[in-house]
Amino acid sequence: MKAVARLVWSYFTGTRWHLAFTLIGATMMVFTFFVMLTQPQPRSGERFWIAILGIMFFFVGSSLMPVMFGRLARGHSAGILPGGRVKLLLSMFATILLVAFPVGVLWPVGVTLSTGTALELMKDPRAREFILQTAALLFSSAVLIASWIYLALWFLTSQRNMAGLFKALLVIAVVIFAPAQDIQDFTVSLKWTLLQIAITWSVFAACFLLWPRFKAARARRGRERFSGFASALAGRTAGREFDVLLGTANPWLLVLALVLPFVIATRFTGEFAAVWLYFLAINSAIVGAYAGQAAERSRALWLRGDWSRAALFACVERSVWRHNGTVLGALLVLTVAVGAYLHFSPTTMIAGLLLLVLGTNVSTNLGLMMTRGLKWPEIVAGIAVMLILMASAELVAREHVNLVAVGALEVALLALAIVLRTVARRRWTNLDWAMCRPDRALTARGAS
Amino acid sequence: MNDTIQASNLSKSFGDKQVLQGMSFGVAPGDVVGVLGKNGAGKTTLLELMLGFTAPTNGAMRVFGHDSYSLPGDIKARVGFVPQQDELLDQLTVADQLRVISSFYPHWDSALISRLCGEWGVNLKARIKSMSVGERQKLSILLAFGHQPDLLILDEPVASLDPIARRQFLEQLLTISADGERAIVFSSHIVSDIERLANRIWILKDGKLDWQGDLDSLKESIVRIHVRGSGAELPALKIPGALSLQREGAFATAVVRDWSPAAQDALEKSASAQIEVEALGLEEIFVELHR
Repeated sequence: MKAVARLVWSYFTGTRWHLAFTLIGATMMVFTFFVMLTQPQPRSGERFWIAILGIMFFFVGSSLMPVMFGRLARGHSAGILPGGRVKLLLSMFATILLVAFPVGVLWPVGVTLSTGTALELMKDPRAREFILQTAALLFSSAVLIASWIYLALWFLTSQRNMAGLFKALLVIAVVIFAPAQDIQDFTVSLKWTLLQIAITWSVFAACFLLWPRFKAARARRGRERFSGFASALAGRTAGREFDVLLGTANPWLLVLALVLPFVIATRFTGEFAAVWLYFLAINSAIVGAYAGQAAERSRALWLRGDWSRAALFACVERSVWRHNGTVLGALLVLTVAVGAYLHFSPTTMIAGLLLLVLGTNVSTNLGLMMTRGLKWPEIVAGIAVMLILMASAELVAREHVNLVAVGALEVALLALAIVLRTVARRRWTNLDWAMCRPDRALTARGAS
Repeated sequence: MNDTIQASNLSKSFGDKQVLQGMSFGVAPGDVVGVLGKNGAGKTTLLELMLGFTAPTNGAMRVFGHDSYSLPGDIKARVGFVPQQDELLDQLTVADQLRVISSFYPHWDSALISRLCGEWGVNLKARIKSMSVGERQKLSILLAFGHQPDLLILDEPVASLDPIARRQFLEQLLTISADGERAIVFSSHIVSDIERLANRIWILKDGKLDWQGDLDSLKESIVRIHVRGSGAELPALKIPGALSLQREGAFATAVVRDWSPAAQDALEKSASAQIEVEALGLEEIFVELHR
């Protein structure tokens, strides 16, 4: 238990930033809880938002978990440490329970906003039963969603390749569409949610704990038999040598990684235009983010061609756009297909397609701008891009599209894309490969 | 001015951390430079400056007469590099990786690479992601050899090789350097390899080039001396350049830098003592310099 507690503590406090987020989040939640428990509440419920903000801070505070979990699980540590895999698994589950707990507490407090203080309300048995049941349902739903989100983050951070991206997208598709389906069918129930948690965690735990045995068995039987398809797929990296070194030679893998979750999602979702556009917009951002590895990978190119840093940027940009343009094309085709099926109005269709083009453009430039790892400017720009994309998707999906609002947001995206490209170009002219990747930057700082 | 590498007053810092300071050196064709230093001494940063991966904070680094930060293509084609951590493409086979890299160079010695693949046991059909760390390192080295560079820079190239592969690699480096036209700069923690291969040694300490010169000069300059006094007790000894000193009665042992016959004469006269000089191995020298 000591190891599990230590791990959980490290997830929330591992760096100064995580500690700060955790403390701020916890303080905001405790403050709101205390105020709501003791003070009569205004009907507007503004204090409730302080707690929601606190939950978000607390969640960000725990974001070290998938990174640490992934590193420990994939390295030798999990195998060497006594009970390593079990303790890691427990630490992950404990973190998720901790993150989800405030949601379960927040709801019963929140419902007292219009009716009086929580202590008075809890004296009524029927109200108490309702509050407790709802709290349990919210808590279990939060556990389920947090589990999926962490799983996606784990795939993204631990497997920095196409397989990891594909798995993460698959998980994101489930996270986006399964709740939508539940809401549409009115099937949200405590029993069903608990069953989902049990299945999810049983499968994940079984895979995680039995993975070393599976790996050993696979090695004994010869990995070629099992990985034939994957190897064949990965081996098709034909293309210009420049693109091969940059990792942009084969856009079809990314197309597959985007389309397959999309197709699977059609099994879950209903006719929510906003949900589909959300998904497509997020995918357009992911396509662009693929450019984030360009600076790091271009190091291998620097010594192998007659280009200055500025010329290298021009070559890299062309290569990235050849790759991302193909994937964007596939996304646009998907959008047209979805639009035809859901009978999008011409305005929605045009604005939606434009949104994807702009989303890919701005995130591609954001990716190219990442020449010094992920720092605050990149994080702020990334959050801004996602918020604008989501807001635009929601506005575009409405029955009566507010053209002024949509136009303003899309112009904002275009302006952001131009600014980011200018920054990217400037950064590449002084590209310092010693600082390209966070771990490389640390190494450089350590000057080993 | 015919130096392969020329650095003057070179400094590099990352934020507040000064990694390298005030370094000046030259590397000429035929030089095989072994770079020694503790972890964090700045070896990798120094090599990355030579390759133009990063810019110096102060001073200048010139490779084949060009500023290393903006090397033209024809100069880059004369440089080979083996990084500390390989940069191979996991999804390719060895043959594919060789094909990809060779396509960047106007001249590629396929015969040499085929021969070395055979000698080093590198399977051309193997997929890189299934290769061991040592096999990957061998391939990284092959990729740096193929275009027969005039300057070969290697950042701890043998750390993951087994003794046989290490020996083969060193033999190949000796072959490359034998014509006296190429320069090799390599860092390693395996002092015996540097001792065997390098004709010039750089020792980095606290971001500075603490020592640079040929191996013989280093061994003559830093020695262990045994002092035997004429009386029962040695008088107070003042040994210029002493790195360490141990006394016991009429005897004393010291490791001294900048040792010379003149310094020996002076000490023998001032201490009225007999002095025996013992040569040190490179590893001992390195340890003594870092006490």
